Amino acid sequence: MLEFKGLTKQFRDTIAVKPATLTIPDGQMVGIIGRSGAGKSTLLRMINRLNEPSGGQMLFHGRDITALKGRELRQWRNECAMVFQQFNLVGRLDVLTNVMSGRLFHHGFISSMAGMFSAKERAFAIRALDRLGMAHVALQQTDTLSGGQMQRVAIARALVQEPRIMLADEPIASLDPLNAKVVMDALRAINQEDGLTVVCNLHTLDTARQYCDRIIGMQDGVIVFDGTAKQLTDKAAREIYGAEAEEAFSEAMTSTTLRPSDKPEAATPRVVN
Amino acid sequence: MADLSQNPGGQDPVALFERHRAQLIRDRMTANILLAVLFFAFLAWSIWIANFTPERLAQGVPRIFEYFGTVMPSFSMDVLLDGRNAEGRFPPGSIGFWYNDFWKYITLIWETILMALTATLLGTGLAVILSFLAARNTTPHPVVGTFARRFLEFCRGVPEILFALVLVFWVGIGPLAGVLAITIHAAGALGKLFSEVVENASMRPVDGMKAVGGSWFEQMRYGILPQVMPNFTSYALWRFEINVRASAVVGFVGAGGIGAELSHVISFFSDDRVTAVLLLVVLLVTAIDLLSERARHALIGKEALK
Repeated sequence: MLEFKGLTKQFRDTIAVKPATLTIPDGQMVGIIGRSGAGKSTLLRMINRLNEPSGGQMLFHGRDITALKGRELRQWRNECAMVFQQFNLVGRLDVLTNVMSGRLFHHGFISSMAGMFSAKERAFAIRALDRLGMAHVALQQTDTLSGGQMQRVAIARALVQEPRIMLADEPIASLDPLNAKVVMDALRAINQEDGLTVVCNLHTLDTARQYCDRIIGMQDGVIVFDGTAKQLTDKAAREIYGAEAEEAFSEAMTSTTLRPSDKPEAATPRVVN
Repeated sequence: MADLSQNPGGQDPVALFERHRAQLIRDRMTANILLAVLFFAFLAWSIWIANFTPERLAQGVPRIFEYFGTVMPSFSMDVLLDGRNAEGRFPPGSIGFWYNDFWKYITLIWETILMALTATLLGTGLAVILSFLAARNTTPHPVVGTFARRFLEFCRGVPEILFALVLVFWVGIGPLAGVLAITIHAAGALGKLFSEVVENASMRPVDGMKAVGGSWFEQMRYGILPQVMPNFTSYALWRFEINVRASAVVGFVGAGGIGAELSHVISFFSDDRVTAVLLLVVLLVTAIDLLSERARHALIGKEALK
């Protein structure tokens, strides 16, 4: 259970996130929507402390996340994996090493500097890649992959962290509709099969409605909507998006191919550990 | 949608823009004229200080050839390729006589290369660590960054020969002093170049490594190092060329290598032995330059294809 207690973020003279209070139970798939600059990314990046909160508190199963330092903070980051809009992989390393880097927290100084990974870790990484249908490119240099492939590798890296929460910051904003569907299907499969909490920022309304148990709407740093997809009426959506409403709705029109499949094909082989 | 052709003041946007642009050009013009005046003032000053006149240059020309006259080998064609005679000596006028100390020179030149190689490896290692501390985007703390940058400036600001002089007193005469002196200077110069490469690297992989719970060292090792490796290697090879020349010079103050022999023959004999040593040094430096240039181009070419 992840609890936000008045969590807030202030950049020099603007308040990006006004005191936010909400509770996310384990195993929920949450979508955060809102126009650009609404504070979605800041809120998400405060969860793994890539952005330092300026005030308030965040608890995970009673543990105060906002007070963590040093090794404990890195352990928390290892527990809540993150997938980025631009994938944030190391382009010049091969796919396998990128995935295995998800295990770095468990490494000592020497073995991580020397890039020594065990056969067990290699096997684990290959299984994670295979689960996302990417095992065949394991030895390829990462920057030769397409955007959709890179995002799946990034999800595999997140999976080998054996996280308890998966954060996804605009995971499909740089992808075409088909790849977007593959990636969203994979995230939903992880949520349903592994029971991981998934929190993702989404730009398109349609995707959030299709995939998420719960939708949180943000406007100018304030949470203005918190409910199920059904409760999110067109009127409520228009209020969240404000002047960008037309754009958000028309984007939903163009991504009509984005319907979750009954059985996501990307998720059939399970990571065994 | 707002009407873009009107601003709140009701002024014509083109006229407004043109006025702003004219102002900018005027400002820049003043600055440029000021700079030009300053430049020529300093140029005149330096010419006056250096007493740089065409007559002085012309007067000096014959003296250059005078010196070369004294250090040129004098060959006699009939014994040019002769070997050792009955007493085991080369006859004067033969190549063997000119290069009587050939194997001594070769040993010293080999020592010079090894000195340069060791100094380059050590200097590069130091520079890699210091550059991550010094680069503004990767430094663990701004204060650490400032200290690292000042330290690098000191390392490259002091000439090798000065470090060598001090180190000869500390560790004694010999190659160790030279290697250490060149290492310090190379670390300073490479550290600056490396940190600029690091500052241009993408921070996205670093964010990725931070998000998996990686330490600062892991963020650097996995997030930055793979991106900057080709540039680092190319700079290190280029530095090796410079270090070969540097290690030929530090010998003048007793810090090992061929420089000690060069200094010795210049001050004690000032005869054809000077050209014998110089010729070998020039050949060595040229060979290293060519080889390293090839290596660098091969490397860059390979990287460009990826």
